[in-house]
Amino acid sequence: MIATSGLTKVYPGGITALDGLTVEIEPGIIGLVGSNGAGKSTLLKILLGLLEPTSGNATIFELPVATRGIEIRELVGYMPEHDCLPPDMTATDIVSHLALISGLPRAAARERTAEVLRHVGLYEERYRAIGGYSTGMKQRVKLAQALVHDPRLLLLDEPTNGLDPAGRDEMLELIRRTGTEFGIAVIVASHLLGEIERVCDHLVAIEGGRLLRSAPLGSFTGRTGSLAVEVEEGREALVERLAARGLRVVVDGPAILIDLVDEAPFDIVRDTVVELDLALVRMEQRRHRLEDLFRDGPAAGNGSGAAGSGADPGLAESGVAGSSAAAAPPAPPPASGR
Amino acid sequence: MSALPPITRAGSIYDLGYRRYEGPRLGRAHAIRSLVFHSFRTTFGIGRSGRAKAAPIILGAIAILPAVIIVGGLTVAARFGFQRQLDETDLIGYDNYFSAITSIVVLFCAAQAPELFGRDQRHGVLALYFARALRRSDYALGRLLGFMLAVLLMLLIPMMILFIGRVLLSTDIGGSLGANLPRVPPVIAQAAVISALYGALSMAVSAYSPRRAYATAGIIALFVLPGLVAGIVIGIGSSTIGTWLVLLSPNTIIDGTDALFFGQSLGEEYFFISLPIWAFLVSASVEIGVVVALIIRRFARITI
Repeated sequence: MIATSGLTKVYPGGITALDGLTVEIEPGIIGLVGSNGAGKSTLLKILLGLLEPTSGNATIFELPVATRGIEIRELVGYMPEHDCLPPDMTATDIVSHLALISGLPRAAARERTAEVLRHVGLYEERYRAIGGYSTGMKQRVKLAQALVHDPRLLLLDEPTNGLDPAGRDEMLELIRRTGTEFGIAVIVASHLLGEIERVCDHLVAIEGGRLLRSAPLGSFTGRTGSLAVEVEEGREALVERLAARGLRVVVDGPAILIDLVDEAPFDIVRDTVVELDLALVRMEQRRHRLEDLFRDGPAAGNGSGAAGSGADPGLAESGVAGSSAAAAPPAPPPASGR
Repeated sequence: MSALPPITRAGSIYDLGYRRYEGPRLGRAHAIRSLVFHSFRTTFGIGRSGRAKAAPIILGAIAILPAVIIVGGLTVAARFGFQRQLDETDLIGYDNYFSAITSIVVLFCAAQAPELFGRDQRHGVLALYFARALRRSDYALGRLLGFMLAVLLMLLIPMMILFIGRVLLSTDIGGSLGANLPRVPPVIAQAAVISALYGALSMAVSAYSPRRAYATAGIIALFVLPGLVAGIVIGIGSSTIGTWLVLLSPNTIIDGTDALFFGQSLGEEYFFISLPIWAFLVSASVEIGVVVALIIRRFARITI
């Protein structure tokens, strides 16, 4: 679906945002992860033709980005990272206006505006000026405008920016539904791996403008996860008991961390806490940190620079086939109070 | 209620699900038309908050006021049989109406042009436009054309009031129509030049200065300063530099084309100009061309 080769972008002033990025991306929900400044936004903008690469080239749906920008943008919806909505227009007005700009006839633009705004969960508010919206509502409008012309591919740049935990969950669920139920390919750029791993079936990790790894989500998880458990008193006893049952336990500040290889530790911890009659304060699955990806991945190291599909056997397997169900990590059980 | 589409999935009946769009996509020309129309509306504050409507409504009312007063005067005069005298005095007519409301038009441009290019840049809306299936120059031209049309409407409405008032209030409607109709082409030509020149200049300023206050001040300065400088230079005694400034200054260009279209000679204040009168039309066209090129260049280079 997307192929880049030797994509390089050097901004005036000498900052290298992309450094010979070569990657192939197949349809699905793709997470584009990297720390701030890794080149995620730059990559998305080059794919849209908003920025010209310094060198290298890219194609979307086999169309070269450099020469067929208009055809590409007809098939792509883009949700920018930053604020992009005029505060004195209503959600209905801006979304239907942008639908017209995308070439939809007036009646169709109005109809689809109502549909996508309902899809993203905006109802009566859509007739109010955007200036009075919460961040969560603005993010929904931004997603709606990216969807209104029924694109084949969505490029979302940090869609959960500025949202509270509940808003993040809703946005991620929207993205998941859009990708799986409607068959629209989605690329989600984020620096929060823990977040996008909940919706993606394929991850592309970049750092310093280079490809670190591109692989199905499954090959990223299961190795580096850990379960953090906090109890009020009796931590030593718990550590001892858990170690005795064969878990690898590390004490980390007030919490203890247990290596998660499968789902068994959840039950073991629960049973052990009950046996010891301890007050459980917290039990949560620790999100992977980005660095873990780069250290532990089988393709790490040889992935940077010129990793194409040949460098990573996992890449070929990822396709439209929904590996999302299998790849999604088990939801952490709610922390029980006393 | 309209018919609901068939529900294909189990679930709440309120969830109609996402539907694909299989209809036509009308392409760039449609996008530009939509932008022109949207810019036109936005310039008058339509589809925006009440506060955004204040400036266009007030300025529009002031621009129309002289025409209303004249037609009102004609009505009173017709009532008391002074028609002939009033027609002959003709304080403000087709040829000098525009110069009478020039400052209002400048204020309108200064207030409303930043609402288009400035607003899109300040709030990052450009990213949404440029991520769609149109060229950057399409965006710039669509916005610009919409604004020019708004200025044109602002100029033509008082003229229409004047025209209709004069024709309908005349005792001899047929004869009055014959007398007023020949003035229509020059009125439209002059209004077109003004709206193109003023529209392009003020949109160029707002394209290069997204901050509203700077853009407004810049537009007013652009319209006022060259005329002032020209006056000073001529006072000092250089008619060559003075001629160039007059040919550059939008307000004096408009005076020249007004004389051209209405078949009059230049006013006395332009005694030092030894050029044929159509030079003003040429200079208007060149200025519009250069400024439009500058606007397109701005949006071709802007990074978002």
